[in-house]
Amino acid sequence: MLITIDVHSGVPAYRQLVDQIRLLVASGRIRPGDELPSTRALSTELGLNPMTISRAWALLEEEGLLDRRPGLPLVVRARPRAVGDAARHTQFSKALRPVASMARQLGINGKDAGDALRRLIDDDER
Amino acid sequence: MGDPIFDATGLSKAFGHIDALREVTLSLSGPSIIGLLGRNAAGKTTLLRHIVGLQLPTAGTARTFGVPTRILGHEQLAKIGVVTQTPVFLGWMTIEQQLRYLSAFYPRWDVDREAHLLELLELDGTSQIKALSTGSVQKLAIVASLCHRPTLLLLDEPVSNLDPIVRDRFLKFLLEVVQEDAATIVISSHVLHDVESVVDWVVCLNDGRVVENAALDDLKERYTEWRVAARTRDLPAHFEEACVAHETSVNRRTATLVVRAAEADVSAFRQRYDADVEVAPLNLQGLFPALVHGRRH
Repeated sequence: MLITIDVHSGVPAYRQLVDQIRLLVASGRIRPGDELPSTRALSTELGLNPMTISRAWALLEEEGLLDRRPGLPLVVRARPRAVGDAARHTQFSKALRPVASMARQLGINGKDAGDALRRLIDDDER
Repeated sequence: MGDPIFDATGLSKAFGHIDALREVTLSLSGPSIIGLLGRNAAGKTTLLRHIVGLQLPTAGTARTFGVPTRILGHEQLAKIGVVTQTPVFLGWMTIEQQLRYLSAFYPRWDVDREAHLLELLELDGTSQIKALSTGSVQKLAIVASLCHRPTLLLLDEPVSNLDPIVRDRFLKFLLEVVQEDAATIVISSHVLHDVESVVDWVVCLNDGRVVENAALDDLKERYTEWRVAARTRDLPAHFEEACVAHETSVNRRTATLVVRAAEADVSAFRQRYDADVEVAPLNLQGLFPALVHGRRH
């Protein structure tokens, strides 16, 4: 599974993990019924504190994204479409926040910023 | 979480006129990797020594595994591993001889872990101890502290003399230990970058007092950095807002502030000073000055 955590970025590590799992589910790259790696396996793979991973799993379970069954691997639950959309939008807005701040400082208005973003997206698709 | 591994109530320690610890009230539970942070002479080593009963409180109480540290017995001590800043071994022995000697005291000594650690830390069992470098002595102290599979591991500046490659291996190994042994690991260090890689909990001491005791991720959510740039008017010499925990740098045109996120109102602040404010997350290095010196309510 493609997860990268930067423990020195200042963003809480459990939060980075939760956001990335949400995104993987929302984008369909992991699907309902898929198993997630154990805390231990992921801790070794990412070099991440196991308590941090448990905290992320607990939060995702509370949100209804994961199913934890005693003694069995964690699995992704069937996903309600709306949750996936909301997660995608939240994630995207968060990534844009520093860009918005830069636009304000450079005096670039909302329309021009939007156009610039649209051009970049179109370029990538071509 | 079960019973606390260590708990202190009103723990004070004085050395003559110097108060090393002042009314420390603290409860540590596991499994967890706890970073014990603070500036020089903040009381970190003194606190660690109180956990094993190497020092006793001048006032207040200290208990480890629920037992007053004054009367810790074999049953408790056998579950503790310690790496001090100045490890002492028998210089005329080889590493192998020293470890055999130590293992005789512990029925649970794990020879597989011993072999694994010697390889991981690149130690040669046939080396004579008096010929070892400072770094290698520190490595030996690490091996000696871990092979009896302690459930409480106290590490006082354990990585200060290790090279970056070995340091990284050792920190990763701690992640295994905390799971395999359901251990509680207390690691004191100035190297915040290393601490940040492995800890889930932070206890911060300043001038003998506990000034912070929280999950690392909670601290990162509690504080945020504001990078302020003046637009028209000069910025003030100091910011009096209650949400400002620490001023990292302030000059007339720009300022970098550590802010308590819950109390902060960034748009009001922007208007008041007619300034641009960029909000950024803070890592442990960025948080540290606010934790030890921050304005408190």
